[in-house]
Amino acid sequence: MATKKSRIKAKEKKGVTTAKIMAKHEMLSYDEAKRAKKEANFITYMVAKVDGVVVYESSTSQFLSKNPFVSFKFKGENKGKELEFTWIDLKGNKRTDKKKIK
Amino acid sequence: MNRRKFLGLGLGLGAAAILTPATLSATNFRETNKSAFEGPKSHTVNDAMTELFGTSTTTDSKEVKLKAPAIAENGAVVPLAISSKLNGSTVAVFQDANPESLVSVYTVPANGIIDYKLRIKMAKTGTVTVVIKEGDKLYSASQLVKVTAGGCGG
Repeated sequence: MATKKSRIKAKEKKGVTTAKIMAKHEMLSYDEAKRAKKEANFITYMVAKVDGVVVYESSTSQFLSKNPFVSFKFKGENKGKELEFTWIDLKGNKRTDKKKIK
Repeated sequence: MNRRKFLGLGLGLGAAAILTPATLSATNFRETNKSAFEGPKSHTVNDAMTELFGTSTTTDSKEVKLKAPAIAENGAVVPLAISSKLNGSTVAVFQDANPESLVSVYTVPANGIIDYKLRIKMAKTGTVTVVIKEGDKLYSASQLVKVTAGGCGG
């Protein structure tokens, strides 16, 4: 399956970076997949890093909404650095996208 | 889907998860605490919580802030906001509307702030519970969300 680019917005203000990310993914739960006669597939793990340091990490289930939107905050002088966001789904697909923190 | 099939599916998925190489350094709770996500122990909030944290005893705390709509018109998109000033290490989100209760587990990094937003699906009206682990203690907050149209098509 071709994966789609995640939409990332990250902004630092007074040492706190706020990131808003929308991952493009169908997030088919088992029930939904059965109804649609497709295979269930959903993001199981998301991680965000700045300079290789983990700033966000979550293990997720099938009950996140379609094209899951997540928002989180972290500390540090991160202006101009790159935020690297990766997700992995049930089938082992992996997608990493990068965006500069404003 | 009947129970037998469901469990069989869980086992198959488990095998696939083990084969996936662990390229990321941090904890993936789906691998370390898989039983909390799927299988016979994942259906109720208490069971899943026990599988994840080792206990289901939590303290209701005002320090755990959960923002959820009282009435969700569309169960496919229920926005949640979680924030806390606790120095928590793990944040977990549960609900009792779907076949499995655990939605998401966050590991709070050293420079992280507990201020998360996410959107979840809820098949029917249910209670959303957020648990934050600080030290050995579990703090929680929960809220009832009324769903008028099911998110899992139910």
